[in-house]
Amino acid sequence: MHLRPDELIDVAEGTRAESSAPHLAECAVCRLQVEELKAMMSAAADVDVPEPSPLFWDHFSARVRQAVDAEGAPRRSFWTWPRVVIPAVSVAVAVLAVAVTLNRGNTSRAVVPLPAVLPAPVAPVASVDLLVDPQTGDDTALTLVAELSSDMDFETAREAGLAARGSAEHAVTHLNGSELRELQRLLQEELARSGA
Amino acid sequence: MASSLTWTLPGTWPQRTVTQSTQPMRPAERGLADLDERALVEACLSGQTSAFDVIVERHRRSVYLLCYRFVSNHEDASDLSQDVFLRAYRGLRSFRGQSSLATWLYRIGVNVCLNRVSAKKLLSESIEDRQFVDEKAESAPDRLLKDERGARVRAAIAQLPRKQRATLVLRMYHEMSHQEIADVLGSSVGAVKANFFHALSNLKKMLGGEVL
Repeated sequence: MHLRPDELIDVAEGTRAESSAPHLAECAVCRLQVEELKAMMSAAADVDVPEPSPLFWDHFSARVRQAVDAEGAPRRSFWTWPRVVIPAVSVAVAVLAVAVTLNRGNTSRAVVPLPAVLPAPVAPVASVDLLVDPQTGDDTALTLVAELSSDMDFETAREAGLAARGSAEHAVTHLNGSELRELQRLLQEELARSGA
Repeated sequence: MASSLTWTLPGTWPQRTVTQSTQPMRPAERGLADLDERALVEACLSGQTSAFDVIVERHRRSVYLLCYRFVSNHEDASDLSQDVFLRAYRGLRSFRGQSSLATWLYRIGVNVCLNRVSAKKLLSESIEDRQFVDEKAESAPDRLLKDERGARVRAAIAQLPRKQRATLVLRMYHEMSHQEIADVLGSSVGAVKANFFHALSNLKKMLGGEVL
């Protein structure tokens, strides 16, 4: 059985000793192939590239710099964030996703007929700052997420898979003009019915 | 007889050593020049575009030579090299340091060259376009013969299928290991060796016995 191409290359390049392939000693075809490979390598190696002038390199660097300046600074991507931060953000996003899903479920179950007489208005509830823990005055996890996501635009979020097709974020950001108007009308109707 | 004559292009320099920029470096640039690849990339991503100048200076010659091996003329090699660095700059944020910066640049370079070469038929420089510089003793006929042989080999390489050509260029002229070539081309070591074998066999078929 003849030597395979990778074996012939190894022998021709000298990374494999001919003595380790006993077949070569008895096969003129394989020996000829090894010789031809060596000859072609030698012929190819003999082809030079003219060295450009030293002045060319300065000119070249200047051209690249000009093109790069026109591009603006490269933006740091989600993937170049420190590796410790990425898992923290992932966990936070997962928690938020679960919270949104549960909230949606509660909303859909809570469709009850409106009472004929609206209850008397109650005293307004003091607004709650979600970023402030009443115990410590600061929720570090939410603060971290807020800080990390403060400069994350929609494109970055989409690349990171945070606004996947089917998500609320994806749906809202992909409505066309008439859908947005319809959504606005429905919301106004609901607000008018609830007396808000 | 030693090869002591140098053919140069109009506007090129008959010299083999790489020379550094003739412009003196500013102190901040001297600091950048001491940084390793990863730190340079980080500096670029932090907005220090001068860090990219250092990357260009370190790799411009090898990128240029790679491009020249594909297109066989100075003008196109120069344009392609610039394109390689511009693409590298745009994609710098995707460089994760899993391979060396050189390997990453080669990968971009091979893609740029193969795309350009397949989109446009490039002309090799003719022998007449070169200037003859008689540095030592090799006779003009010897040099002419060698140059004609080189032109035939280059033309044959240009006709190889894309992966075979890329493999041969990286192996023969950039002394990359089979594993490094596999990383650049996104294939296995076995496939690289097979491509190299077929590239050399096809060269033999195209050139016959004329260069042996």
